[in-house]
Amino acid sequence: MRKNRIVLLLVILTLLFAAFGCKQEPENKVVRMSTTTSVNDSGLMAYLQPAFEKATGYTLEITSAGTGAAIEKARMGDADLLLVHSKSAEEEYINEGFGEVRVPFMYNFFVIVGPADDPAGVAGAATAAEAFKAIAEVGATFISRGDKSGTHNKEMAIWKSIEFDPEGQSWYESIGQGMGQTLTVADEKQAYTISDKATFLAHEDSLSMLLEETDDMKNTYSMIVVTAERFADSNVKGAQAFVDWIATDEARQMIAEYGKAEYGEALFFNLD
Amino acid sequence: MELIKQIIDLIFGPDPELRQIILVTLRMSLFSTLISSILGIPFGVVLGANDFRAKAVISRVVNTLLGLPPVVGGLIVLMLLSRSGPLGSLRLLYTVNAMVIAQVILITPFVIAMTANVVGVSSQSINETLAGVGIGGWRRIKYYLLDFRIPFISIVLAAFGRSIAEVGAVQMVGGNVQYKTRVMTTAIMMQTNMGRFEFAITLGILLLLISFLVNSLVNRIQKATEHD
Amino acid sequence: MIRLNDIKVEVKNRTILDIPELELAKGKRYGVIGENGSGKTTLLRIIAGTLVSNNGQLKGLPSKGEMGYLPQSPYAFSLSVLENVKMAVLGENSEQSAKTALEKVGMGALLKSRGNRLSGGERQRMGLARVLALPRSLLILDEPSSATDIRGTNLIEALLLDWHRESQGTLIFSTHSPAQVVRLADEVLFMDKGRVIERGSPREIFDSPVNEETRSFLSHWKL
Repeated sequence: MRKNRIVLLLVILTLLFAAFGCKQEPENKVVRMSTTTSVNDSGLMAYLQPAFEKATGYTLEITSAGTGAAIEKARMGDADLLLVHSKSAEEEYINEGFGEVRVPFMYNFFVIVGPADDPAGVAGAATAAEAFKAIAEVGATFISRGDKSGTHNKEMAIWKSIEFDPEGQSWYESIGQGMGQTLTVADEKQAYTISDKATFLAHEDSLSMLLEETDDMKNTYSMIVVTAERFADSNVKGAQAFVDWIATDEARQMIAEYGKAEYGEALFFNLD
Repeated sequence: MELIKQIIDLIFGPDPELRQIILVTLRMSLFSTLISSILGIPFGVVLGANDFRAKAVISRVVNTLLGLPPVVGGLIVLMLLSRSGPLGSLRLLYTVNAMVIAQVILITPFVIAMTANVVGVSSQSINETLAGVGIGGWRRIKYYLLDFRIPFISIVLAAFGRSIAEVGAVQMVGGNVQYKTRVMTTAIMMQTNMGRFEFAITLGILLLLISFLVNSLVNRIQKATEHD
Repeated sequence: MIRLNDIKVEVKNRTILDIPELELAKGKRYGVIGENGSGKTTLLRIIAGTLVSNNGQLKGLPSKGEMGYLPQSPYAFSLSVLENVKMAVLGENSEQSAKTALEKVGMGALLKSRGNRLSGGERQRMGLARVLALPRSLLILDEPSSATDIRGTNLIEALLLDWHRESQGTLIFSTHSPAQVVRLADEVLFMDKGRVIERGSPREIFDSPVNEETRSFLSHWKL
């Protein structure tokens, strides 16, 4: 009699063990974020990363590329979370059904930089559009990123607003490269360009910041969670955890503080 | 075949971007090849045909330059030509001329080394035969150029091949400026970074075709001139 | 009179030529014979001037334009046979002189052939034509018929005898064949280990060699 009871107990224990084992799905702790080089170069993500990982237990894996390539990565399912600053490209991505919704969360401003002697008189302009008009009128050399990045798209939007197409003009040089290189070329040629403030402040050159914080130079950053409908193994929970964490007081405080120590001013602003 | 249609459109369509890229590439490469050959072949002949005290030293210098990584070559030219550099007032940076300069620095040692090698194999016999009929000194160069004209063509083609394939130095000193200094290699890099793969692939296929053609020619020539 | 004094050539601490004294009369035909490595080529190179010894003296040579030297394997340029020979002739009539010389060596039909596609024997004859395209008062030939067949050899030897008769020039040639020495030379020089160990008229030497080395060399041949 006793022998049978022991066997029964063992069988039940084994079954329970197996049941528990099956129920416990290994949870994916890695969140793959695809972002742009300018975001990465600003250092903001590296700064936020430890706090996020500590608060949520997730591990953040950040890759960066030009805006186009960053979005392409998400489109191919190689990222769980997309963090870029190019509204039109983001909306296109969502319309194609790769993401559910874009969540704008912070902004900063582009700045127009150029030679200290400012031959086109950009410093006196009220808006970026006015400044661009002056540059075109004078035919001052202007360096464009030309790489369909967020910065480039903003630049093209400004040209569009004054109904001027700069392509082909002898003073307009489109180099198809990142912000750092664009600033280097502008410095070399003592030319104008539009840049995000963070990269400009960190970049060594002899250019001057001539125009900043006009309305038409606002640069908005958004997050998009990659939908599970397209990619079954997408870590939606992890990505959402990041989106939720960004809205916390802790994160917002960190964003508001970033850069103050080094540059005397904040590089990013929280959206309300 | 959507891709093929896109490729044809890029090459023959209204947008001049691709054609301009090819034009700039050819302009740069033709000049680089020409200058490297004019400098390198005679120097290589003199080096390969003669035995003189400084030969070992010069050969070593040439071989060292041969191993110069293209990006380092580009960096050196960049430092020289930049506004803050010694030759900054020439305003050569980010022009095709700067790219040619960098490429000449990289390719001439290659031409010298290949020429000296090709010539060195028979140089003793050639020198002795020419000396036997009273031909010596600088007069010999003419006969070297004549005798090795076909291998030299193959060397020039190889130099051209290297020129169009180079990307590091021309990116640094050329700046990849649209319509002005954008060449096939830098355009491929850029388009890939932007995620625009059809353009990149089209350029890649064209570059591959040109490379393949040049290499086949070089091979044909080498086979045809295998001396007995 | 061509005079060599104290000519020594050393390569990697080995003496490959050692001529304390050597006199060669103008207008005579000299045949230099010896085993491989005996210094024949080196001696010819010294006289021709393509090799220079560190010390010693070399006197009595004609001007460069009058001297012709044919190395053992003369180079054939990747040009036409005619061009290969023409290159030796400066000035007008270069083409005619070249043609005549090529006809003399029996290559009149190969004028348009490519130099570097010739056989070994043809290259040698072409090299000889190159040297003979201009008038010479001194001919230095390193094994001039080593690659040719019997017909070619006969042709070359006849040509050289003709040349000598017409120009009264000096002929210095090296060879492996004692028979060729008999046919072609007034005087034979035996070389061994970089030295001239015996010299004299061909018949004298071959009938009664004095030197041990000479004797052992000749023992391989039955004349």
